[in-house]
Amino acid sequence: MEIKSSDEQMFRQVYEDVFPVVMKVAYHVTYNIDVAEDICQEAFIRFYDKDMEFASEDDAKYWLIRVTKNLAINHVKRKMREQGMIDKIKKMPAPGSYKDGGDELVLKETQALVREAVEKLPEKFRSVIVLKEYADMDYKQIGKVLQISESNVKVRVHRARKMMESMLDREEVNVP
Amino acid sequence: MCLDDQILNTYLDGELAEPWKTQVEEHLSYCPACKARYEQLKKLHEVIAGAVLTDEEIAPHQAKVLSFIEHNYLNKKRKISFFHRKLRVGIPTIITAAAAFVVVFIGAFVLFGTSGDQTAEIIPGMSMNVDSANIMQVRASDNIAASRTLDSYSLEEILKYLDGKGYDVDVRLKGITPLDPTSAVGQPQSEPVSDEPVL
Repeated sequence: MEIKSSDEQMFRQVYEDVFPVVMKVAYHVTYNIDVAEDICQEAFIRFYDKDMEFASEDDAKYWLIRVTKNLAINHVKRKMREQGMIDKIKKMPAPGSYKDGGDELVLKETQALVREAVEKLPEKFRSVIVLKEYADMDYKQIGKVLQISESNVKVRVHRARKMMESMLDREEVNVP
Repeated sequence: MCLDDQILNTYLDGELAEPWKTQVEEHLSYCPACKARYEQLKKLHEVIAGAVLTDEEIAPHQAKVLSFIEHNYLNKKRKISFFHRKLRVGIPTIITAAAAFVVVFIGAFVLFGTSGDQTAEIIPGMSMNVDSANIMQVRASDNIAASRTLDSYSLEEILKYLDGKGYDVDVRLKGITPLDPTSAVGQPQSEPVSDEPVL
């Protein structure tokens, strides 16, 4: 189905379907829920304002994810310049409240460590791992969003996982 | 030969094409070392993916951003639709407009830029033969009779006119009395005598 981004009906449909993915991408790049929200808002406003046409909803989705990813990466770069790396490493990026219960706590701790590790990945690996693990996209789709080849995506996924593994090993995350 | 992480990761993501996929499955079925490594990578993938932002965490932000966009864009755009609408003209439209302009321009030359004979062939009813034969100049002096005033008539003409209308006009000169009043009766003074007539 062809998508016209300024058509209210179509906009609402795309928003409903794509917002969660876009939010995940923005969040897992920035690890700040409020910043992620702002970025998503900006991306959807651009989408609506630019009055574009897409061959399919998937194409609209890729466009939105690309814009969101770029906004998020830019935010992180700016943030890094402003704060410096030391502050960034200190931060504990875990939204929501902890509930009682051992398993829940372990899960939350693991989540926090994983998020911290993702945050430490260099940009090009972080984009790939976020799109792969959190946006649930295949290599071909990731290639389209990042405008790189499928085999390049494959290599980056592999390297990113390798880095994640060594970082999580150091943090003694329970990866058997 | 055992499998490397790259192949295992690709297989794990379901992106390995045939025939390698079948070969990997076969190898995993009998190689405990590769099987263990595969399980490890699978676990890593699950741990990473498990840190995902949940739908419950997303929902309030989704609603908040939507209401912002509704308030500032969707509802607003409907109100100001006419004057603030972007004027978008496509390339074909521009070409069509340009072609129409050229046709009208050339058409204007064809119709008005040539002599009446050619025009008559195309539009007989609109033929205009403009030459010296049917040009008429109008001057004020051509119609002098209509523009004459009372001053430009001589006394004789006035008297003649009034006489024709049946008026009996007696004209006398100032300070002069007729010597023989009887001889003047019934004869209208016809000769102009002075510059200042009294009517």
